[in-house]
Amino acid sequence: MAEEKLEAVSRRVLLKMLGAGAAWLGLNKLPSALAQVSGQATQQMPGFTGPGANPYWGAVGPFVVYPQKLPLIQLTDRPVQLETPRHYFLTPFTPNAAFYVRWHLEGIPNAVNLSEWRLFVEGNVGKSLALSVADLMKQFKPVSIAAVNQCSGNSRSRFQPRVPGAQWGNGAMGNALFTGVRLKDVLDATGIKAGSICVQFEGLEKGRGLKESVSHRYLKSLNLDDPVINESIVAYEMNGEPLPMLNGFPVRLVVPGKFSTYWIKALTWIRVLTESDTNFWMTKTYCVPDTPHGNTTLKDFKDGLVKMVPVGTMPVRSFIITPDGSGKIPVEMPVTVRGIAFSGYGRVVNVEFSEDDGKTWRKARLGDDYGKYSFRTWETTWIPKRTGPYALAVQATDEKGNIQSDGEFWNPKGYLWNKIERQEVMVGAAQ
Amino acid sequence: MKKILYVFIGLLVITLNKPLLAKTNLHGLVRSGQYSRGALLGTPQPEAIKQSLDAVYSVGTYPLYTPELAPGEGLDVIQGYCNLCHSVSYITMQPPLSADTWEAEVYKMINTYGALISEDETKRIIVYLQTHYTQETRKQ
Repeated sequence: MAEEKLEAVSRRVLLKMLGAGAAWLGLNKLPSALAQVSGQATQQMPGFTGPGANPYWGAVGPFVVYPQKLPLIQLTDRPVQLETPRHYFLTPFTPNAAFYVRWHLEGIPNAVNLSEWRLFVEGNVGKSLALSVADLMKQFKPVSIAAVNQCSGNSRSRFQPRVPGAQWGNGAMGNALFTGVRLKDVLDATGIKAGSICVQFEGLEKGRGLKESVSHRYLKSLNLDDPVINESIVAYEMNGEPLPMLNGFPVRLVVPGKFSTYWIKALTWIRVLTESDTNFWMTKTYCVPDTPHGNTTLKDFKDGLVKMVPVGTMPVRSFIITPDGSGKIPVEMPVTVRGIAFSGYGRVVNVEFSEDDGKTWRKARLGDDYGKYSFRTWETTWIPKRTGPYALAVQATDEKGNIQSDGEFWNPKGYLWNKIERQEVMVGAAQ
Repeated sequence: MKKILYVFIGLLVITLNKPLLAKTNLHGLVRSGQYSRGALLGTPQPEAIKQSLDAVYSVGTYPLYTPELAPGEGLDVIQGYCNLCHSVSYITMQPPLSADTWEAEVYKMINTYGALISEDETKRIIVYLQTHYTQETRKQ
């Protein structure tokens, strides 16, 4: 019993040191992720982390069950925010039942009647449309695209100093094969009139706030001159199944390469506007510094030196999924290190693996290519030559030449995180 | 009678065997057969939902798993106002935040999101959050 207590205390002290120590030493490098598979289920991980960075790969909430879902990590329960556990990222496509969930307002659909539901297309158009799911399936050519959906605030719990908001670990992301109709085809069918500037999207999600308040509706827009308009789809299928209710049944917008904030769930209204959309959700939140990589400092932000612009494309990222640090590895045993990589800017062309904390790198093998907006799996065989702790690291490069780094990174809302990920593993004697 | 004797002998053998087994030199085995109470109460698997024949697609209600907030002065105002738009898991999820940040968060709810809270109650909410959820004060 005393031993258990001692362990608990030393673990807490260790967590504090990890955060505070790293900040004190001025280290930029992201510390290794702590294992999150039940190594010792008689002791719970802490209920919250901070003021240091969250040292775990994922968020620290409890596992919870929701309709059409496997146990996921809870962030909040009303509205619902759930994170996908690490090991579901061993495959290029994230199962629907494990796909993360993030709503903004508490009034989220429990039941939808498709005999009444319609997708309304209106505004500055030649002919307004009201399309049923059957209309979408029959009147338009179906298209499929593999695309990563990632929350703008994925990994927010890594920021130092910490920022308020959903304290995601790394699992606010997923990749799915989305099937539906081209947004462009729907817009062509409605006939956009001259003078149109942007297209606004709204779903069935509603808040308790007063009708005029920003907490009543969630609205996002895409400018018509943004090339992503031609790549976006209105999806009624996800991995060959109807969308789970929590992921936006009956249809959701898919905006390849862009953060999930634009991927409106339970999409019901498409409005063509003649002015740029200045609503709260476009200009007051989901905004990042207008600086290289959206990077700034708390001081510059407080001094009012930072201009904020809407968040957009997802920077290149890569992850180590296994080994996860939950067990020791015998020396000289060939281990397959596995993970995923992606970038909103284009195809991932190179993934490099390091066994020495990022001092030296070597190329990993890339898995099947499902298109430039998909997760790309990677793996490499690693044979540890000596015993002791190792800091494994991974970095990816996309076709535009964007590469991950260890640099200092911060912004006031906790978006765009893409630092080099690390995993500590212990290698023991084999005889 | 014989039956009881057999059971007794059986139990004796098991009891005596336990330390014997533990001492058996299974090469390299350091520990085995050790259990202790788990910290997690298992999550029961939910029953499947009965589907209707019509065009209504339903998943039933969403379960709430709201954590307890720290007891203390102001908890009633928190439960009354914060709960209107979101559950208080939005409070417990946060890392320890500074007193200033909590104050700013509360005013964001009022000025940005349109929460209607009187000045007096706003102050009580802020004091409660600062008393229980900053780096210096947060316990759970």
